[in-house]
Amino acid sequence: PTPLPGQDVAPQRVEIHKLRQGENLILGFSIGGGIDQDPSQNPFSEDKTDKGIYVTRVSEGGPAEIAGLQIGDKIMQVNGWDMTMVTHDQARKRLTKRSEEVVRLLVTRQSLQKAVQQSMLS
Amino acid sequence: MEDCNVHSAASILASVKEQEARFERLTRALEQERRHVALQLERAQQPGMVSGGVGGGQPLPMAWQQLVLQEQSPGSQASLATMPEAPDVLEETVTVEEDPGTPTSHVSVVTSEDGTTRRTETKVTKTVKTVTTRTVRQVPLGPDGLPLLDGGPPLGPFADGALDRHFLLRGGGPVATLSRAYLTSGGSFPEGPEPRDGPSYGSLSRGLGMRPPRAGPLGPGPGDGCFTLPGHREAFPVGPESGPPGGRSLPERFQAEPYGLEDDTRSLAADDEGGPELEPDYGTATRRRPECGRGLHTRAYEDAADDGSELLGERPAFSAVTAPLAQPERGSLGSLDRLVRRSPSVDSARKEPRWRDPELPEVLAMLRHPVDPVKANAAAYLQHLCFENEGIKRRVRQLRGLPLLVALLDHPRAEVRRRACGALRNLSYGRDTDNKAAIRDCGGVPALVRLLRAARDNEVRELVTGTLWNLSSYEPLKMAIIDHGLQTLTHEVIVPHSGWEREPNEDSKPRDAEWTTVFKNTSGCLRNVSSDGAEARRRLRECEGLVDALLHALQSAVGRKDTDNKSVENCVCIMRNLSYHVHKEVPGADRYQEAEPGPLGSAVGSQRRRRDDASCFGGKKAKEEWFHQGKKDGEMDRNFDTLDLPKRTEAAKGFELLYQPEVVRLYLSLLTESRNFNTLEAAAGALQNLSAGNWMWATYIRATVRKERGLPVLVELLQSETDKVVRAVAIALRNLSLDRRNKDLIGSYAMAELVRNLRNAQSPPRPGAHLEEDTVVAVLNTIHEIVSDSLDNARSLLQARGVPALVALVASSQSVREAKAASHVLQTVWSYKELRGTLQKDGWTKARFQLAATTTKGPKGAPSPGGFDDSTLPLVDKSLEGEKTGSRDVIPMDALGPDGYSTVDRRERRPRGTCSAGEASEKEPLKLDPSRKAPPPGPSRPTVRLVDAVGDAKPQPVDSWV
Repeated sequence: PTPLPGQDVAPQRVEIHKLRQGENLILGFSIGGGIDQDPSQNPFSEDKTDKGIYVTRVSEGGPAEIAGLQIGDKIMQVNGWDMTMVTHDQARKRLTKRSEEVVRLLVTRQSLQKAVQQSMLS
Repeated sequence: MEDCNVHSAASILASVKEQEARFERLTRALEQERRHVALQLERAQQPGMVSGGVGGGQPLPMAWQQLVLQEQSPGSQASLATMPEAPDVLEETVTVEEDPGTPTSHVSVVTSEDGTTRRTETKVTKTVKTVTTRTVRQVPLGPDGLPLLDGGPPLGPFADGALDRHFLLRGGGPVATLSRAYLTSGGSFPEGPEPRDGPSYGSLSRGLGMRPPRAGPLGPGPGDGCFTLPGHREAFPVGPESGPPGGRSLPERFQAEPYGLEDDTRSLAADDEGGPELEPDYGTATRRRPECGRGLHTRAYEDAADDGSELLGERPAFSAVTAPLAQPERGSLGSLDRLVRRSPSVDSARKEPRWRDPELPEVLAMLRHPVDPVKANAAAYLQHLCFENEGIKRRVRQLRGLPLLVALLDHPRAEVRRRACGALRNLSYGRDTDNKAAIRDCGGVPALVRLLRAARDNEVRELVTGTLWNLSSYEPLKMAIIDHGLQTLTHEVIVPHSGWEREPNEDSKPRDAEWTTVFKNTSGCLRNVSSDGAEARRRLRECEGLVDALLHALQSAVGRKDTDNKSVENCVCIMRNLSYHVHKEVPGADRYQEAEPGPLGSAVGSQRRRRDDASCFGGKKAKEEWFHQGKKDGEMDRNFDTLDLPKRTEAAKGFELLYQPEVVRLYLSLLTESRNFNTLEAAAGALQNLSAGNWMWATYIRATVRKERGLPVLVELLQSETDKVVRAVAIALRNLSLDRRNKDLIGSYAMAELVRNLRNAQSPPRPGAHLEEDTVVAVLNTIHEIVSDSLDNARSLLQARGVPALVALVASSQSVREAKAASHVLQTVWSYKELRGTLQKDGWTKARFQLAATTTKGPKGAPSPGGFDDSTLPLVDKSLEGEKTGSRDVIPMDALGPDGYSTVDRRERRPRGTCSAGEASEKEPLKLDPSRKAPPPGPSRPTVRLVDAVGDAKPQPVDSWV
């Protein structure tokens, strides 16, 4: 049962320039979800069977925040790669490729207000 | 500044000397004039001037004299005749310069420039202009000297007094000087080492570097007597007003004022909004605005010019009074000042008699002078002296000056009343409450209220309301103000300025509120008195028209998107305070009670059950269904509608308006629109107060917040960088979650933000973003509330990675209350057997959850370093725990009932640093915490290790940083 329609949300593009921290390039956010994770525990999904990758944290002042990524965004694509049917670790690796200094994300975002609104109205 | 100081030292010295010389001449001239006038009353003007010899041979002295008149006259009439204050004027003016933003101080610069004698001489020809100049000064153009010079019509009745004639008679000399000074302020620049800084800097440096604080008999000590920079500095940062009416970028602007809500600053200091509108305030206005400090002074003196002429008219009497002051200076405050200020050599070079400033007892004696202008002048001078000078204020009280001033509030002459009130406003401002008490003790409150009723003059109304605002910050005066002034303040100010009409004309559209200074002062006063406890609230609620008018004003503010100003803030704060305990205090509240008072847990339970029966609200089953079935929601909404607001036969009015669900939209609009943190806090606090309590209206309010889409608004404000906003919102959310549907929604959508605040509490994202203990506890209590009795919400907490944050908080917080509140949340989470698997999978052991509880509960101060071992910690079953008192400490709902959620504007209850114990019952009862005295648990424990351990134990990446 998926009472809360999320399809009407227009996807957004977010381009994040990674930040070099010592050896690593970081994006400054964390992800949750994946087809190997328990989707019912995803606090950000409207559909609790959604096994997609979601942004769970965004470090303040980090590259992701600067680029406009927000907590709760669902990542649809990373540099063109689909992220809706991947394991958690696949997603992580796709995001952390050392060869790529820039990642372009396609995300869907449901504003909090809208989400709440929907949940109340539906 | 420093540089300027150094560079211009020489020029300063020169100018000091010149001033000295000028002063001498002036003094002589004045003295001669005085004698002359006294002797030849009838023919005073003409022959006096001509034959007086003062100006006869030398054009210069005359010029100086006139110049002085200009400077001095504004300050106080008394000073014109008897107290040459030019030096003071100069200095104060100088101060103004320091504020970069204010170009206003040009006048002062000019004044200092005038010290240069030669230039004066050159421009003898402009006699006619002199007259003009004088007139101009009276134009209330403001601190900017140049505009002031150009003539407008004289303001006061006094403008065309003897002074003018003097000017005319004296001819070109004086005129020339004046115009030169004012018009050619720029000319002085070349003289200074740094042209750019010009005269203003010169004088500034003098003020800063060369003028020690007054140490005269009046000044209690260094710094005390100083009217200039230090005083301003201390006073103005306090007021939130001094900044531009800013947005979130200027949070400090809205920070709590040290003085509490009192805002005395305001009456003295700048208005946020109304730079220009301040102009009419003469003496005070000058001091009000930090930026305009000097300009203000100048203005004050100009103002006095009017009075001055009147004074001259009164000369006979005056001279008699002032004669003693015409003595050569000796030990008076003024002379001391001068001595210190000027280089000794210059000073000692002069042996002629000098005018001196009157001493304080003399000024006070003048308040009883039979001649009215003398009274007015004395009061004005007193106001000047008292500005930012606690020592003088104290002495005025000790010398019993306050009853004299209060008595003058009923004086038949408007000018006297106005000046007396101005002095009282300065005297009533400050940390020292003794003056406030003294004003009350001599009947000051009713006298002020009488004056407000009688006064049509806007300036007087501003002065009166400003004084009352000052007085209202002192707890013991609040009820007196209510007793004597509530009706008048409401009907004379609040209602008319709010735009509310008792009988609205249906044809015309509703009037908007006017954010006048009078309204701001009055609302500030009522804001302060509204925090004086239940009786004060009752009186305000029942004051006819007050709530209606406040509500109308706020609606008008929202309608015009003008929600950041101080008046709005004051109004919202009053509304918030009046909303406190409405469910207990308003007449007939009993009829609306929904549940027995008692342990909140049970009360809520029964309430919830009842609602379930009635309308499918809440209940775990309903909630789970809600997540998965849209159909069910529709049904619930329908039921909600039927449950909705009772039919009214007539429109709500008066205090009923406080808790009508319609107000929800207003507060939500404010929460959405306003960028004033105090307003945000108060609006959230109002919702918090209204959603507390087990009466019908609170139920409606809670549901209405949801219906009006208020939850997202509140959740978004959890991100506010202002501590108190976060706190108010968190507590409001907690109260709102008494509604089961709200609870579900808040659990789903607010959890991430709540947890984020917990994390910020431990590691502030940026310096200065520290969350206060109260806020952290409020957030924790809210989390506790929403995870209690809701497995899904507990799950949300886990998903939001709240557990590591909580564990870290328990382990590392320096605050017992925080640790305890956090441990209670952990206990509650652990009580869900369904979650234990997940928790254990994440590497958690029950010890962490139970340890937390025991740590905070046990009296043992320092838990053993290995406290996380299971062995040291007896498990406490959650249900068992819940029955003990332990959990109640953290969950005030249980112990205190729903009222525990209400708060009043707490800042108001702490006037200037004093926190009256009597108010304790009114304060946020959420803090009840018997174990508060327990030593903080293991402050030395390494936080990092704990957090690391958590991470290590995690078996599976639920969440990966990238």
